[in-house]
Amino acid sequence: MISSGERELELLIGPQHPASGHMRLVAKVDGDVVVELRPNIGYVHRSVEKLAEVKKYLQIIPLVERPSLADTTANNLAYVMALEKLLGIEPPERAKYLRTLLAEINRIHSHLYGLGIHGVMIGSSTAYMWCFGDREPFLELAQELTGARLTYSYIIPGGVRRDLPAGLGERAERVLRYMENRMRDYFNLYFNNPVVRARLEGVGVLSRHDAINLGITGPNLRASGVAYDVRRAEPYAAYPELEFDIVTEEAGDSFARVMVRVREIVESMRIIRQVIRKIPEGPILHESYEKLIPPKLRESMKQRGMVKFPSVFANLRVPPGEAISRVEGGRGEVVFHIVSDGKLSPYRMRMVTPSFRNVILFEHLTRGVRVADIPAIYGSLDYFPPEADR
Amino acid sequence: MDILKLLFEPYIFIPLVFPGLVAAFLLLLIIIWLERKIAAKVQLRYGPLYVFKPLGGVIQTIADLLRYLFQEPIVPREADKLAFLMTPVFLFGLAYLPVVAVPISPTYYAFRSDVSLLIVMALTTLAPIFTVLMGWSSNNKFSLIGGVREGYLVISYEIPMFLSAISMAILYKSLDLVEIAEAQKGLWGVILNPLAAINMLLLMYMSTSKFPFEIPEAESEIVAGPYTEYSGIIYGLVMGASYVKLYVLSLVYSILFLGGWNPLPINDPMVAGAMLFVKAFLLVALGAFLRAVYPRFRIDQAISIGWKIAFPLSLISVVISLLLIMGGVSLVVK
Amino acid sequence: MSLSRTVRHAKAILTGFKYLFAGPRLTLMYPDDIQELPEGYRGMIEYDWDSCIKCSLCAMVCPADAMKMYVSKEESEREGKVVKRPGINYTRCIFCGFCVDICPTDSLRFTKVHDVAYYTYEEQIYPPAEFSKGVPRPLYLREPRKVRAVLDERRGIRYEPARS
Ligand code: SF4
Ligand code: SF4
Repeated sequence: MISSGERELELLIGPQHPASGHMRLVAKVDGDVVVELRPNIGYVHRSVEKLAEVKKYLQIIPLVERPSLADTTANNLAYVMALEKLLGIEPPERAKYLRTLLAEINRIHSHLYGLGIHGVMIGSSTAYMWCFGDREPFLELAQELTGARLTYSYIIPGGVRRDLPAGLGERAERVLRYMENRMRDYFNLYFNNPVVRARLEGVGVLSRHDAINLGITGPNLRASGVAYDVRRAEPYAAYPELEFDIVTEEAGDSFARVMVRVREIVESMRIIRQVIRKIPEGPILHESYEKLIPPKLRESMKQRGMVKFPSVFANLRVPPGEAISRVEGGRGEVVFHIVSDGKLSPYRMRMVTPSFRNVILFEHLTRGVRVADIPAIYGSLDYFPPEADR
Repeated sequence: MDILKLLFEPYIFIPLVFPGLVAAFLLLLIIIWLERKIAAKVQLRYGPLYVFKPLGGVIQTIADLLRYLFQEPIVPREADKLAFLMTPVFLFGLAYLPVVAVPISPTYYAFRSDVSLLIVMALTTLAPIFTVLMGWSSNNKFSLIGGVREGYLVISYEIPMFLSAISMAILYKSLDLVEIAEAQKGLWGVILNPLAAINMLLLMYMSTSKFPFEIPEAESEIVAGPYTEYSGIIYGLVMGASYVKLYVLSLVYSILFLGGWNPLPINDPMVAGAMLFVKAFLLVALGAFLRAVYPRFRIDQAISIGWKIAFPLSLISVVISLLLIMGGVSLVVK
Repeated sequence: MSLSRTVRHAKAILTGFKYLFAGPRLTLMYPDDIQELPEGYRGMIEYDWDSCIKCSLCAMVCPADAMKMYVSKEESEREGKVVKRPGINYTRCIFCGFCVDICPTDSLRFTKVHDVAYYTYEEQIYPPAEFSKGVPRPLYLREPRKVRAVLDERRGIRYEPARS
């Protein structure tokens, strides 16, 4: 309760709030103006890093996927890349393309997820339903490729688990055409809707200078005019061979962040088309592992396009050493640092997720905005509490 | 016996039984379902479907109503109990009250008054007070903010709405809704003064918290605004109140701008009433459709729309009406 | 109110109208329709008793400790040594499919069954003998229609009756 003479009202937004997610925002408001907003994180901390120290290397794959459920491939890929550095192996070309394919499908549906949540945060249930509905074809594609809707665990040391199913390229093309057509309606109904513009333009402006200084990452960084993308800065998988642009916007406001995501979806579709056109023939698992599989099994595995694990995977031993890997996920840069002491589990695993790096923006961008701008800014950051809490 | 006779007096029967409350409840039942259906269709889904599937789940609202009835209404310990429980009733009642002055046909009305437009407009301003009170009595910060938001909105839509309505009264040289409707046998008000029509439509949706002005109960910001602490059937009441208010305003709007019961094929109160109801229904449905198109404005933006756009527009529409009158456009059929 | 803004308002409303009257619907009418899952879907797991060589790899690789080796009493007595066979606990399983992929004899296989409901916790634990009896058949109130997801250029995703 407010005592007399006090002007500020403290609002506890979350964790039981329709738009707070698994976190609490402690807001001090003066009338309709936010004086201070502090994010209170950690509600869904799952101690992924500590758990990794008691799990075997392969068992960590599903573990690192769980925190960022909408963007699992980035974590999966980054972890496996670090592991491969320690193991000193390089996946075959075809596997690299398949990794890229899944990563881009995942980027699209992760962006759609973020855009949809943002939509309903500013009151457009249609944007929410459209984005979530249109995720569905992409999830269907990913499901055909990997056998699961979200928790793909598709990327394994030395390659990937499934080959491209017959006809997937064609079906993907249909989905891409559908999405391209729909984009026009998205713009007409939502992105160009004057009410949307009024709510997002000029709200939560992040300057280029601050974005760099605060260590912001991903689309939120690029929306402030910084053309930084790990896919270009430190290419991995099949990205060196693919053509794509780094999407940037200059304004740095909520709308710019939304636009970066929208344009990245278009860019990802371009990448998917190239992957499908250019994908080379060949094995999808590193030969050193493939030759460990019994010959009969190897044959049937090639026929079905589904990899069998060599038995060493059950107790994968990794030479002592350290490795760092970086991947551009849907929400930004994912970094894994693995320290191995030659045992069955890592000695230490560090997992830096983009949401954790972006959470500082809650405090930074909300000073002096209006109460209604809190969700408009929150959504535009595509912040995912479990990912930040890990 | 006397009570029964009293019930059939037109000034009781028309607003409280038929068409009055019967029509209002019919509209409530259909419109809440329709709103969900419309939003669902635009959003690539089906909406309510399984409660009576042959008609697309049309009685979903009844099922919801039953659920509300059996749900435990929780009254927060810290709330001002009397105010907390009374406000929904007053809110609903006052949202509906203006209907007493709305005529149903040239000959069928609860009572006829020279200033019925003024009565309706004045009565519609009463309900928001209870929304504000509701926000206060819940003793919840989100409710409080919601109530205050409602207060701000009231100030910004009330005056231009009044002016828009008055501009039509000037045009028809009457404050009597029956006369106003009768005057539109030829040209409808929406053609004579389109500016006032658009303006009033906007303000009508604003005053009933329809999208894009669903600001007092903005879910992602303040949970449910003034209604946050309400549950059970009293929540059902407050939810119904804003629809009822929109319905009443739509009736008035139809009479002011859409010719009321004109064009009338046969001179029968039933047909006239049905015509009016259909027009009002379409207006309410349009409000429901807008939910699928728009997100919500921020409170400061809504207020500035009220003062910077709607207010000047309403002044201009008064001027237009005056010019039309002075220009001798005597379209007013008497 | 500038003109371009008015045009944008009109465009938004017209687009809404377009979808009101002619728009696709993406809903899968579960449980009246159930989706035929694609080949290789990682659903519940089938266990083949005879071909299993009891190597325990599946239990070793399982990231969720869902797959466990149980002592098979009968066989142990018969063979005079400890014989262990895998059993699965579906309260823990995360359907990663690692066990299936590592099994050297293809004794474990994916099925497309996913939507099974249980009354109790214990029912979801399948020791080897039960595990080998195959996956449970989901019970439906009404016999559902099997549909297939067809990716469509115009409508995104369409559910068509499956030709089985
Ligand atoms: S699917 Fe994964 S979690 Fe389930 S039993 Fe197999 S290895 Fe364990
Ligand atoms: S099921 Fe397969 S992996 Fe498991 S013990 Fe039997 S043979 Fe080995």
